[in-house]
Amino acid sequence: MVKRKEIFLFVILIILAGLMIYIYSYIKEAKVEMFNKIENDKIHQVIDIYENIRETTMKDKNISTIDDMFNFLSKDQNRISQEKKIATLLSPSIKYIYLLMRDKKGRFRYLLDASKIDKANFYQKFDVDSPKYDLVYKINKPQIIRHKDVENLCLTYLYPLSIDNKVVAILSFDITNYLKQDINSLIKPLESFFIILMIFIVLLIIMTAIQVIHYFVTRKKIFTDPLTQLFNRNYLQEIIPMLNLEHYSIAMLDLDRFKSINDTYGHKAGDYILSQSSQIFKNSIRDTDILIRYGGEEFLLFIYNRNEPNIAVEVCERVRKNISKNLYKFDTNDIKMSVSIGIHKKPYLEKNINEAIKKADKMLYIAKSEGRNKVIAFEDNMVLEDEKSYDINFVKEAILDDRVICYYQPIYDYNSNKIVKYEALVRIKDKNGDIIYPMSFLPNLKHTNIHYKLTQRILSLIFDKFESTNKSVSINLSFLDLINKDIENTINNRLKKNLEFSKRITFEILESDEIENLEFFKEKIKFIHSLGSKVSVDDFGSGYSNFRTVLDIEADYLKIDGSLIKNIDKNDKDFKVVESIIHFAKVSNMLTIAEFVHSKDVYNKLKMLDLDYMQGYYISKPIEKLATNEDLFKD
Amino acid sequence: MKIIILLLIAIVTFASDTVHFQSKILEKVLSDISTPKKLKIWTDDIKILNELKDHKVLNMVNHICDSNLVIIKNKKHLSKDCKADFIFVLKYNLLNEIPNSFGAMFWKKGRPNIVIIEPRINKQNISISKDLEPYLEERVW
Repeated sequence: MVKRKEIFLFVILIILAGLMIYIYSYIKEAKVEMFNKIENDKIHQVIDIYENIRETTMKDKNISTIDDMFNFLSKDQNRISQEKKIATLLSPSIKYIYLLMRDKKGRFRYLLDASKIDKANFYQKFDVDSPKYDLVYKINKPQIIRHKDVENLCLTYLYPLSIDNKVVAILSFDITNYLKQDINSLIKPLESFFIILMIFIVLLIIMTAIQVIHYFVTRKKIFTDPLTQLFNRNYLQEIIPMLNLEHYSIAMLDLDRFKSINDTYGHKAGDYILSQSSQIFKNSIRDTDILIRYGGEEFLLFIYNRNEPNIAVEVCERVRKNISKNLYKFDTNDIKMSVSIGIHKKPYLEKNINEAIKKADKMLYIAKSEGRNKVIAFEDNMVLEDEKSYDINFVKEAILDDRVICYYQPIYDYNSNKIVKYEALVRIKDKNGDIIYPMSFLPNLKHTNIHYKLTQRILSLIFDKFESTNKSVSINLSFLDLINKDIENTINNRLKKNLEFSKRITFEILESDEIENLEFFKEKIKFIHSLGSKVSVDDFGSGYSNFRTVLDIEADYLKIDGSLIKNIDKNDKDFKVVESIIHFAKVSNMLTIAEFVHSKDVYNKLKMLDLDYMQGYYISKPIEKLATNEDLFKD
Repeated sequence: MKIIILLLIAIVTFASDTVHFQSKILEKVLSDISTPKKLKIWTDDIKILNELKDHKVLNMVNHICDSNLVIIKNKKHLSKDCKADFIFVLKYNLLNEIPNSFGAMFWKKGRPNIVIIEPRINKQNISISKDLEPYLEERVW
C-alpha cells in the first residue's frame, strides 16, 4: 500500500518539474537575448560602414537629390563601383544587400543590388511582402521584418536613406539564420538534456500519480464495508492515532433483536435491514460525525461535539427515533426495528480509546437490559460494577501459564462438628502473584470458548486434587457448561472409571434464565446422577427460584442464597423464608446448606433452624489447602 | 490586388512547400487573365503540372502540342513544331530571352514576384483583371 512517502515524492517531483521548466525557459530567453544582441551588433556594423560609403559617395559625386542619385546609379559603371563597395558588407550572415526606391506608382525597384547570388537588374520591380517598406518612407525610421520560411533568412533590416530629411531610398539587407543555427546546434544538447530530463520527470509524476490514485482507490476499498458502504474497523484503526477524543463523544449502536430477523426472514432480509439502517444512520448524523460498522449489527459512532458538549444524546435520539419510525419492507413483509445506543460523552477521560468504547458498550448493555430502543449515556458520577475487570486474553494467558488455581471453602456440619465437603472456588494468580477473584474475569468470558476451557481446567485441577483422597468436593457449573459436549466428555471420562470418587462429587448448578429447555436440563442432571454424583441447586431463594424445577430434577442439596442468610440475625422475614425453604427441602428429601455465614450471630441464628450444613467466612475463608477442623472458627 | 498580396504574405510566412504555393499563385494569375481562345495549359515543370493537372478551372494538358499556353522554366523545352500562342515564364531573364512571353512568376531573394509586360499582353489580346494591374510593367529591365 502506498503511503505518505509517495505523496511526498509526488510533490517533490512537481517542484522539480517546475524548476526544470524554469531553467529551460531561462535558457530559451537567454538564447533569444543572445540572438538579439548579435543581430543588433551586426546591424549597427553594417549601417556604420554603409553610412561611410554613402557619405563619401554623395560628397564626392555631389549628389543632393533623388534625381541626382538615380542618374548616378543608372550608369552601369557607377552602379558596379558602388555595388563593389557595398558588397564588402556581405558575409555568411548577410546574404543579400540592396538599395530600393519607391517609384511614382508606389512600387519598389532595385537601384543597387550588391548580392553575390540571385542578383536583380537595375530598376527591376521588387514585390514587397510587408507594409513595413512603406512605413519606412512614412516615418523615416528603420524597420525589421522577421522571417520564418524565406530561404535561410531570419530577418530583413530596412534602413532609410534620407536627403533633406526625406526618405529617398531604403537600404535593405537580409540576415541569414546560419549564426542562429550554429548557436542552436551548440545549445541543442543542453536543451535536449533538459527536455529528456523533463520527460523523465513527467513520466515519474504520471507513475507516482497513478500510484497515488491507486492508493486512494484501494484505500477506499480497504476502509469500506461492502454491504453498508460505511467505514469498517480497518478505518477505525487508521484514524485512532489522528482522532482527538476531546472533540468527540462515542456511541455504540446495536440493532435490537437482529438475530431474529436473520432467523425469521433469512440472511438476505438481514442484509437488507443492515443496509437500510445504515442509510438511516447516515441520514440522521452530521457530516462531521464518523460512523463505523463495528461488527455484525453493531455500529460505532464518533459524534463531533466541539462547542456542543451535549449534542451526542440529541444525535443518538434522532438516530433511534428515525430507526423506530421506519417500516422496512422486505418481500411482502413489513418489519419494524429499533436500536439501542450506549454513549460515552467524554471518551478523552479514559485511558485509551478501547476503554472508552468498552464503556459505551456497557451503556449499550444497560440500554438493552432496560428494555431496548433506548439511549443511555455514561455520566461522570456513574460507577460501573466491573470497573476493574480482566479481559479474555488475561484468562487465556493464565490458562497457558498454569496460573489458574482453586481455593476451597469447607462446608460444615455443625451437628457433628465435621467438614463434610469443600466448595471449589476458582482464582487466577496474576503475573505479580496477586490473587484475582472470579467476579473480575468471569463476566467477560460469558459465551466465549475460553469460558469452557477455563471450566475444563478447573475440573482437571479438582479431579486431580480429590481423586486420591477420601474427601468430597462441590464444583460450580453453569447450565451452559453443563450442555457443553467437551465438558460433558471430560466429566464422563474422569468419573465413569472411578465411581467411588464420582460419589464424592457434588455439582452445584446455578439456576438461571438461560435454562430455556427444561427437558434438556433434566437430561443433563440425569447424566450426573447416572455417574453417582450429586446435584446441588446453588443460590436457591433468589431471583427466579422455581420449586417445580428443583423437584423435577431431583436435586440432592439446596444451597440457600447468601442474600437471605447474611442478615438473618436481624431480619425476621429472611428467617421465615429460610425456615420455609428448609421445610420444603426436608419434605422433598433434600439436604440444605446455608452460605454466607459471616458472623457468630448469623451462625447462632441458623443453629435455631433445622439446617444441615453451613458455609461462610465465620467458619472458614476459602483457602488454597484443604482446611481441617483445627483451621475452623479462627478469625 | 489585396488577395494576391495576402497570398504572397501567406506564402512568405507559412510556406513549407514552394511548389504548392507557386502553383497557387499561378492558378490565381492564370485565372485572372482572359484570352481570345480557351486556354489549354502545359508546363515544363513536372511538379507544377502534377499539382495543377486535376484543377477544376485550369485546363491542363500533358503535351506541349495540345496546349496554347505554356509555362516555361527552361527555354529549351519550347517546341519549334508546336508553337504556343501564349508563353508565361518562371524566370525573370526569360522575359528577355523569349520576346513573346507575356509575364513571369519567379522567386527573387526568397520572395515571390510577378511581372506582366503590358505591351506584350496588348499585342496578344490578353486582358487582365484589376488584381493583376499592380504587376504590370512597361518593359523588361
